[in-house]
Amino acid sequence: MQTRTGDIGSFVFERGKRGSLRRVMAVLMIVAALLLYVGGKVRIVQLGYQIEALEKEKGDLERENRALRIEAASLSSPARIEELALKRLGMVRVAKENLIVVKRQQRAK
Amino acid sequence: MDKRGRILLIVVMIGLGFALVAGRLMYLQIVDRTDLAARAERQQQRVVKLESKRGTIFDRRKRELAVSLDVQSVYGIPSDIENPRQMAQQLSRILREDPKTLERRLTSDKHFVWISRKVGPGRAAQVKDLGSKDVGFRFESRRFYPKKTLAGTVLGFTGMDNEGLEGLERSYDKELRGVNGWVLAEKDAMGRTVFPGGPGFQYRLPKAGNDVILTIDEVIQHIADRELERAVTAARAKGGVCIVMDPATGELLALSVATAHGRPAFNPNEPQQYRSSEWRNRGVTDVFEPGSIFKVVLAAAALEEKVVHPLEKIDCSAGSIKVADRVINDAHRNGVLTFTDVIADSSNVGTIKVALRLGRERFAKYIAAFGFGNKTGVDIPGEIPGLLKDRRLWSGVSIASIAIGQEIGVTPIQMAAAYGVLANGGMLMKPYLVSQIVDQSGGVGKKFAPQPVGRVITQETCAKVSRMLQRVIASGTGKQAKPTGYSAAGKTGTAQKIDLRTGQYSKEEYVSSFVGFVPASSPKLVILVMVDTPEGNIYGGAVAAPVFRAVAEQSLAYLQVAPDEGGGSMLLVNR
Repeated sequence: MQTRTGDIGSFVFERGKRGSLRRVMAVLMIVAALLLYVGGKVRIVQLGYQIEALEKEKGDLERENRALRIEAASLSSPARIEELALKRLGMVRVAKENLIVVKRQQRAK
Repeated sequence: MDKRGRILLIVVMIGLGFALVAGRLMYLQIVDRTDLAARAERQQQRVVKLESKRGTIFDRRKRELAVSLDVQSVYGIPSDIENPRQMAQQLSRILREDPKTLERRLTSDKHFVWISRKVGPGRAAQVKDLGSKDVGFRFESRRFYPKKTLAGTVLGFTGMDNEGLEGLERSYDKELRGVNGWVLAEKDAMGRTVFPGGPGFQYRLPKAGNDVILTIDEVIQHIADRELERAVTAARAKGGVCIVMDPATGELLALSVATAHGRPAFNPNEPQQYRSSEWRNRGVTDVFEPGSIFKVVLAAAALEEKVVHPLEKIDCSAGSIKVADRVINDAHRNGVLTFTDVIADSSNVGTIKVALRLGRERFAKYIAAFGFGNKTGVDIPGEIPGLLKDRRLWSGVSIASIAIGQEIGVTPIQMAAAYGVLANGGMLMKPYLVSQIVDQSGGVGKKFAPQPVGRVITQETCAKVSRMLQRVIASGTGKQAKPTGYSAAGKTGTAQKIDLRTGQYSKEEYVSSFVGFVPASSPKLVILVMVDTPEGNIYGGAVAAPVFRAVAEQSLAYLQVAPDEGGGSMLLVNR
């Protein structure tokens, strides 16, 4: 049986080389596309986690802020300020005998 | 049976099996579809409540009086807890709850149990430090009253689910509470909640409650609280009320209620520590016989009807007067007094003589016009109209008794509003506590304007009564009420209480009171002081009048009202 292996082989080899390249390219493109897709998805998930963490931090800070506002309101209560003024700062209420009533001068017309 | 027959039989049996399954599927999908779909929905879906944030209550200068804060609640899933007894003991040390109660909760057959709700941040951290996976935490809103006892009975308090139970928290609950939201979540096979997200996600966001701005001024409230408590403690009294009101508008600047001496002032942060009787605001829920402070109503009515003149002389020398079958005495014997002195010296005989001249018809008309026998409409829940007998049911002695403030029950808020009439030129104003409701976007939801109820007497009569009441402070029974630098007008009252055992007037228990307004020349404040059952010196002029003076002096200085004595050109300086 006559064979044309060399020619055919060369021909086949040429065809095979080009076809393999295409396949490799196609696979690479698919892999790249998949990587891009998966990478994007991973990034979205990571950003989602970051958003969640930041939302939680924001919530915690808002709660802390409210708690501090309540503490500030509590610390500024008139009863506490009065107690501090009288006991710690040694301030005294003006006694009636220490008050004098004076006439304000009328402005000259 | 040959091979072919057997194969055919098997095929037929398999076919029948498939047909049965298909039939059952068709039955479930078509006939039972509605029922099964509803049952699946019930089993797979859960409505998760999103709690709305309760609005804040501010004083008139936007200082916080009631605020909500998210705190953690501890819960458990009983089926997951391996050693409930040990867990209960560990938790009881931190949460300070009975270990047996906790163990009962942890061994309950429920899927979810609260272990302790709304615990402080410190305790929540300690529970977390146990490192147990069997307990979880959930944020819940808790109400805080940062000024503690200040205006406690005015503000009231909320329940575990943030519903208003007492005071303004109750009467403005709808405004403060907001609207809860919800999320339709799904449950997985383990019963855990899964939020599906995506386009079919059904939810409604919660709407925060509105803020409420009061007419109360926290500084004036503190002054009233402090001075009243001092008086109640000094007199070993059963309680007291002090009201500070702007007579021109009816705005209440302070409404202070003192508990009995020896009892702590009511703190809405821990209402369960107090008796339920200490929750209520006695300024609007309790009646008392006013005694001599009610004589002013008779004086205003008699002057308005011109049945008497302030300088007309009235013979009070007998020291007693008989009306119907009852003899009514003066506290001390007087001679012939002008009508002004009748009021200044608080003569029962002189007052009754004028009342008899006025007559029951006209007197009853003015009592009603001053607002007695009706609720004032103030915002606090539980207000009562007082006790006033229908005029047609008055006995022969009623006109005399009522003229001197007996046989009638009034609330402190009614009495303050009535003196407001004399201070503002004759108009009865509705007392109120809330000036604005502000929604969360910052817009004013509602604004409450002063509400005149009606004209009671003329300005001319008011001026006459005011001069008589200035005399009470200048030379009558109310000398201790005189604020330094300011003119003042007012009236003392010392009323016997009814002895509940005998039904007669008690000779040991009294209500001491003082009501008046400052500065008399241009009234800015009406101040009422009532002290319930003082011991020792029981007279209003000695027990209640000094509270009036202290509250008036400090409040007017705080409000920067210039002293008016000496023709409005006086100035107070520190020596």
